[in-house]
Amino acid sequence: MEKWKITGIMSKESYINKIKDLPEFVRQFLGLIVLTIVIILSFSILNKFYGEGEDLVKRMKIEEERIAQEKKLSELISKLPSGILVTFDGTDKYKLTNELYEAVCNATKLIPQRAIMGANFLNFRAHELYTINGNKISDTFVKWDKEKNKCFAGFVVSGKNVGVDETITVSGEALSFLSTGIDTRVYFIKNF
Amino acid sequence: MEIFKKYPKLFQWLFLLIVFFALCFAIDVPETYKFIRGQAEFVKDPNQSTYVFLGKEVRYYAFDVFWRLPPLLGWLPIWINDSLFFLMNEWMPMEFWNEDTQEYKSRPIVLQISRNLTAVMTFLIELIREVLLGGLETIVAFTSWDWIDKNPWAELPGLPWTIVAAGATILSYKLSGKGLASFAFLTMVYISIFGQWKPSMQTLSFILVAAPLSFIFGLALGIAAFKSKRIEKALYPILLVMQTMPQYAVLVPALVLFGVGDHAAVIITMVVAVPPMILLTLLGLRAIPPEVIEAGRMSGCSNWQLMFKVLIPTARRDILIGVNQVIMVCFSMAVISAFIGAKGLGFNLLLALNQLNIGLALEAGLCISLIAILLDKMSLAWANKQTDYFGNLTFLQRNKNLLFFGVTVVIGILLAYIGTFLFKGTFNYLFEVPHNKGISTADFWNKGVDWIFDTFFVYIKAFNTWLITEVLQPMRALYLRMPAVATLVLVVGAGYLIGGIRSALVVCGLTLFIALSPWWDRALVTTYMATFGVIVSCIIGFSVGTLCFQNKTSAKFMLGVCDIFQTFPSFVYLIPVMMLFGITDTSVLIAVIVYATIPATRYTIEGLRSVPVGLHDAATMSGVNKFQRLTKIEFPLAFPHMMLGLNQTIVFALFMVIIGAFIGTEDLGQYILKALSDKNGAGIGLTLGICVAFIGLIFDNLIRTWVDKRKKHLGIA
Repeated sequence: MEKWKITGIMSKESYINKIKDLPEFVRQFLGLIVLTIVIILSFSILNKFYGEGEDLVKRMKIEEERIAQEKKLSELISKLPSGILVTFDGTDKYKLTNELYEAVCNATKLIPQRAIMGANFLNFRAHELYTINGNKISDTFVKWDKEKNKCFAGFVVSGKNVGVDETITVSGEALSFLSTGIDTRVYFIKNF
Repeated sequence: MEIFKKYPKLFQWLFLLIVFFALCFAIDVPETYKFIRGQAEFVKDPNQSTYVFLGKEVRYYAFDVFWRLPPLLGWLPIWINDSLFFLMNEWMPMEFWNEDTQEYKSRPIVLQISRNLTAVMTFLIELIREVLLGGLETIVAFTSWDWIDKNPWAELPGLPWTIVAAGATILSYKLSGKGLASFAFLTMVYISIFGQWKPSMQTLSFILVAAPLSFIFGLALGIAAFKSKRIEKALYPILLVMQTMPQYAVLVPALVLFGVGDHAAVIITMVVAVPPMILLTLLGLRAIPPEVIEAGRMSGCSNWQLMFKVLIPTARRDILIGVNQVIMVCFSMAVISAFIGAKGLGFNLLLALNQLNIGLALEAGLCISLIAILLDKMSLAWANKQTDYFGNLTFLQRNKNLLFFGVTVVIGILLAYIGTFLFKGTFNYLFEVPHNKGISTADFWNKGVDWIFDTFFVYIKAFNTWLITEVLQPMRALYLRMPAVATLVLVVGAGYLIGGIRSALVVCGLTLFIALSPWWDRALVTTYMATFGVIVSCIIGFSVGTLCFQNKTSAKFMLGVCDIFQTFPSFVYLIPVMMLFGITDTSVLIAVIVYATIPATRYTIEGLRSVPVGLHDAATMSGVNKFQRLTKIEFPLAFPHMMLGLNQTIVFALFMVIIGAFIGTEDLGQYILKALSDKNGAGIGLTLGICVAFIGLIFDNLIRTWVDKRKKHLGIA
């Protein structure tokens, strides 16, 4: 065992001596090559832990698609006339085509108090909870139902009613919208 | 193999460049990479990756590591900020007596110390300001407002401008003679009649507090470093970083620690002005021949006597050059400190530039430049003045200047008194010409600027567009196209080839700090701007220097010009370029070129001058012509010195690029400027400052190592 060790040490020494015997410029060249390799290797190791390039590309592409979609929708909205947009006949308001109806539904985020109050009018318990809790709305949503080809909007009212926690979801078909020229808002929710 | 042996360095450099370009071509720009997505913004974005270190969450855009390293030091600015906040608001609360409320109040000790320090500074500034301009604060500090109401005679009226002007003239005469005295007189008269007296005295009061304090601290630390190797080693890295740190960057932490105003500016000025004083004290003490020390010891001096009676008087010149440096740094800081609310000429200049009133800015800038030249010449004259220990003079001969000054004080007071009758119902111009009530040429200059724009707009715009689209944008794109790994290989490889493994490790550490900070892209932009400036400056500087060297008079004249230009605070250079090129990158780059050409020219002339005359004669005898002598003898021998000029050119260019942020750049300077107005900006500002300092230090290390080696090789070390 000792003999092996000694032989090992001797061979190491002979390698070192061989390197030491090399001309100065060759040694320096070797040093430069080793240094370059060490740097590139260190980067490769770091890349294993921190390199998220491909993941990021995927995430950013999704994000970019979303931004592009939003941009398209906002362009469409800016072309709509300002005022009330309806989905039914019988009024002199601007009537949305089926394609526009879906696009406006997807672009709409806001449900103003007027629409909420109108929907509450037909839901006494929701109206009561809404008034007791200082006109607070927990959540709102505007969704396009692909099966029914209709736009549904709604809101969640929650709070204490005579000491009891209650949550009521009011939803219905969004039949008309208000276009401000900058965005669109739900104007009328048919919840009956 | 023979060719390898003949040109080993050439092949090593070629190999390094091939690896660098191979890496640049092999690593593609990530699809998601956009320069405007600055990681330093700390904005929340779902696309960002995060990591938590020391309880601090760092958000960043993760790319392939070969392209950009993740900001593993992104926690540093947040940590510095939090630490400062903790120190200032929570650490070691103690009970302190509050004079105003007459009760004990709990305050963290650091906050209390900083408030006490600022109170002392404010008192000192007010004291000097009231001696020069008049006021009540100092007397009220010792008495009360009620007492002042009852004793209106105690109100300090301030010194009339005639007395200060006479004082400056007499002092200049004593130090250097008629020439400097005339210049001092004209400068003071100019300041006064152009209505810049008050801001000038405000700036002067700032310098009169900051400079002596910086001198005392610098001298004390210099002596301590001379005495103890440990202190020297501890101070060395700080001195090194402070030499290349932009003055602008140190303002940000000062805001957090000392607030806004003159007091904060004085303290931070001391931080910047002390390092050159330490270095020059150390240099002076080191240069003392051992025989002088031996002689002192043999005369029976104690350590104290040896230091103050032998060593310091012997090193007097270097120490006084240190004083000159301190004054110049203080003056330069007095202008930059306007960003943190210091009053005076800098503030007026900043205000004028903000309003794009180039005429007013020019007046203030000229005033700043004149005072800078005057202070520089006076302090240099003091450094070069020899005390006549053997002159057998009478009391009158010894104190004639003092007596003369006494007489002028009396005359000045009399004139100011007569002025009260002469200018009844209006301003007493013999006491002080109020700000904006003197002569003003601002309109003339503003009209000149308008004329320049009207007449040359098409050409200036064409030049601007050409420079930006054809030169600057491609150059910037090239720098930003460099993958992190390629840059690191190039820099570390250069370090290895120039200075061996030690130098490679040093530059590797410095580069990694920047690469691991969240501002690598911005650092690349800073480097590109500085590089452009340095290349053009060196071409101009080396050519002008070489041409001027051919004639002794022109060389002397050019060195004088360099001296004068070097005394101008860097901020002043922005005025003429804004006049000509408006607010564009071109303006910044031209200011960089003008500012950075000074050291390039100076070091070229000095380098060529340092070539021994004997070699000239030997060359002439060998039959070489002028051109051959220049290229074969003078240039090779002067090249190490010229490279030191290049080093200075890089530092100057970096300083100017950072200050250029004021007129709009996208580099580290812009982020420092943003940090100034950010309540959490201290950490960011300091880290950015260190990044800029490290860029300077990378070049400094490479150039100095090369110069040392080259000097040894040439046998002139």
